[in-house]
Amino acid sequence: MPVLQHLCQLLYDSPIGTAIRESNIAFPVIESVHVLSITLVFGTIAVLDLRLLGLVLRQIPVSRIARNVLPLTWTGFGVSLVTGFLLFWAEAAKVYWNPAFRTKLVLLALVGLNPLVFHTTIYRRVEEWGYLAVFPWRARAAAVASLMLWSGVIVAGRAIAYFT
Amino acid sequence: MSLHSWFMALAHSPLGHAMQTSKWDFAVVEMVHLLALALLGGSVLVIDLRLLGVILKGESAWDVGRDLGRVVMGSLVVMVLSGIALLSEEAGKCYYSPAFRWKMALLAGAILFYFTLHRSALKQTDKGRPASWARVAGVFSLALWLGVGIAGRAIGLL
Repeated sequence: MPVLQHLCQLLYDSPIGTAIRESNIAFPVIESVHVLSITLVFGTIAVLDLRLLGLVLRQIPVSRIARNVLPLTWTGFGVSLVTGFLLFWAEAAKVYWNPAFRTKLVLLALVGLNPLVFHTTIYRRVEEWGYLAVFPWRARAAAVASLMLWSGVIVAGRAIAYFT
Repeated sequence: MSLHSWFMALAHSPLGHAMQTSKWDFAVVEMVHLLALALLGGSVLVIDLRLLGVILKGESAWDVGRDLGRVVMGSLVVMVLSGIALLSEEAGKCYYSPAFRWKMALLAGAILFYFTLHRSALKQTDKGRPASWARVAGVFSLALWLGVGIAGRAIGLL
């Protein structure tokens, strides 16, 4: 058995994994919090992305929006990570084989890479372009990539249930 | 025609038939519904946190509300349309579901509130700090929209 699959089986068989799986309310409650926190992540990052594209809040500098909105995004991300791991814990041995789950993990890695690149490159010089009417193409490309990747994460996440 | 017969007509329409027979038709519409939900939720949150004076304090609450309000309205249209399609899959069951009835009541309340007191609260607050009634309006708005979401999630569970 591959080591990752073995690890998934260990989590699946552990007391906590079993307890979440067998409880009538634990799974739906954790799942609801998971969906709410993803709403927080996607909804707030979308506001920033739409601003980068010049579609909303044009009168507010993009750096101000980033400063105000990103703490909310990170909060949502933290909660979705914890709740997501708990859901995974309960279903680990099953979702190991799930194509939607695997897709979601790949998309999550990419969606994490996107702001890493954005913040270490083009966003460093935001003072130079933040006042322009139309932002440089690399900033707009980052916004489009973010919107598409996060949409993909939500679609793949919802699809997990359709593959079991 | 009674409300119940409208629901039955929806269930027996070509749309209802497609949603009932194809697993992936339902899945795709559900994903669209979720994406619009995330957009709506995020925009409502940013508007209400500005109204409460938590974020974007120097900016006009009215401008933030008007601008992101377009995102709220756009998402709401997508949600209602995709919601009707989702409803057609089991309209007969939803008609009697307490969670569904709660969701519709809360949604009607949220929309009504959005266009009335919430609007006045944004206008009056504008660039300043919110009055206490405007703060209450912000919290109430968040609670209403959150309630719509929770009742919606409950439809599939109850």
